[in-house]
Amino acid sequence: MLTNTSTTAAALLPAVARGDVSSFETLYDRYSSTIYALLLRILANADDAQEVLQETFMKAWTSAKMFDAVRGSEVAWLISIARSRGIDRLRSKKIRVEREDEAGREISVHSSFVDHTTGAEKAIQSQERTAVRGALAELPDPQRVALELAYFEGLSQSEIAAKLNEPLGTIKTRMQLGMKKLRDRLQAFH
Amino acid sequence: MGHEEFESIAALDAIGAATADEASALRSHLSECIPCRRARDQYSEAATMIALSLEPVAPPGEIRERVIATKGRRFNPWWLAVAATLFLALWGWREIGIRVARENDASQRAEIARLRAENMLLAQRSEKLSSEMTGLLSHDTRTIALTGQEVAPAASAKVFLEPNLRRAIVFFHALPANPTDKSYQLWIIRADQPDKPVSAGTFNVSESGDTSITIDNLPVATEIKGLAVTLEPKGGVEQPTNTTFYVAGNA
Repeated sequence: MLTNTSTTAAALLPAVARGDVSSFETLYDRYSSTIYALLLRILANADDAQEVLQETFMKAWTSAKMFDAVRGSEVAWLISIARSRGIDRLRSKKIRVEREDEAGREISVHSSFVDHTTGAEKAIQSQERTAVRGALAELPDPQRVALELAYFEGLSQSEIAAKLNEPLGTIKTRMQLGMKKLRDRLQAFH
Repeated sequence: MGHEEFESIAALDAIGAATADEASALRSHLSECIPCRRARDQYSEAATMIALSLEPVAPPGEIRERVIATKGRRFNPWWLAVAATLFLALWGWREIGIRVARENDASQRAEIARLRAENMLLAQRSEKLSSEMTGLLSHDTRTIALTGQEVAPAASAKVFLEPNLRRAIVFFHALPANPTDKSYQLWIIRADQPDKPVSAGTFNVSESGDTSITIDNLPVATEIKGLAVTLEPKGGVEQPTNTTFYVAGNA
């Protein structure tokens, strides 16, 4: 399980499952920035990302009792919901072309946006992010690129192979090796 | 496919890159393999690292307000009560509708089965009557009249005998209704053995006094001296138990 705020702070989803609004607010404050960043990366559109962000937390509210701490962390559960919905939105709206047009455009973050994350949490998250980036940086570029295309753009093995002009078997092997390295690295965090 | 191969598929599945066939085979395998399920969970957790590498971006404040407010409505008691009541009412109405439709359907099926059986019976009767009518109109058919005897003077019967078909049709008239523990029995008196009548079958007569019987495979198609009817124990006997004839006549 990831060594992040989900393990350093009290678990929130069991309380959310009991209808505890305060825990739900804390859950939102703790993870919304991470989820929103992921959705912006996937959708490259602030309106879409905000809609899916709301859907993700509403899903968390209604399905919190489905969360199984044995299977993974709270943040992994939320990210899984958000990514799945984000990729669905990406495919359904066929905004991939538009997204490519917008490539390179910086997503601006206005100062009026409110960040409820506490200072301690920010510090922990920052450390985790550094560690995670380190793990990703250790991957050879071809493996990392293949993983990112699958994860952020929802491309299939064959779509990635076509995009990178590589044999399908090569792409498959790269992704499998990359994932194994990430898993080994993750276990080393414990 | 071995565990190693399933683990490799699990690695792809965690980032949504497994093909549909691979994902399907994996789901099936995970339902019965705990180590591979654990590996799948570890890969899912590892995939999360890709998202966590991104720099967090705070969403607009109004999104938070909207999320919290929308969620609050979920537990509004009156709203929940109305929704639950409406749901139960609709569900109940639907269940009643389904039950009534099922009962109607079963009733209609039973009626169709009954009509089919009745139709088949009528068709058989029609066929029999048609055959009997053909026999009655044949040039070869012999007619024998049976008259009422002392116990039933008003009774009578007419026998239409078809020697070629070894068949006879007998119409009885004004016979007294037989008791429930007894049957009428028709006897054929053979010319060569008049003291050993041959049974042609048993029959019952209701209060109307009229009935008819068809005798197939006549034991003796020719050499019939006469016919007579006695009242015998229910179901008939090998030889007559009495000489009280109800109707009788010579061929």
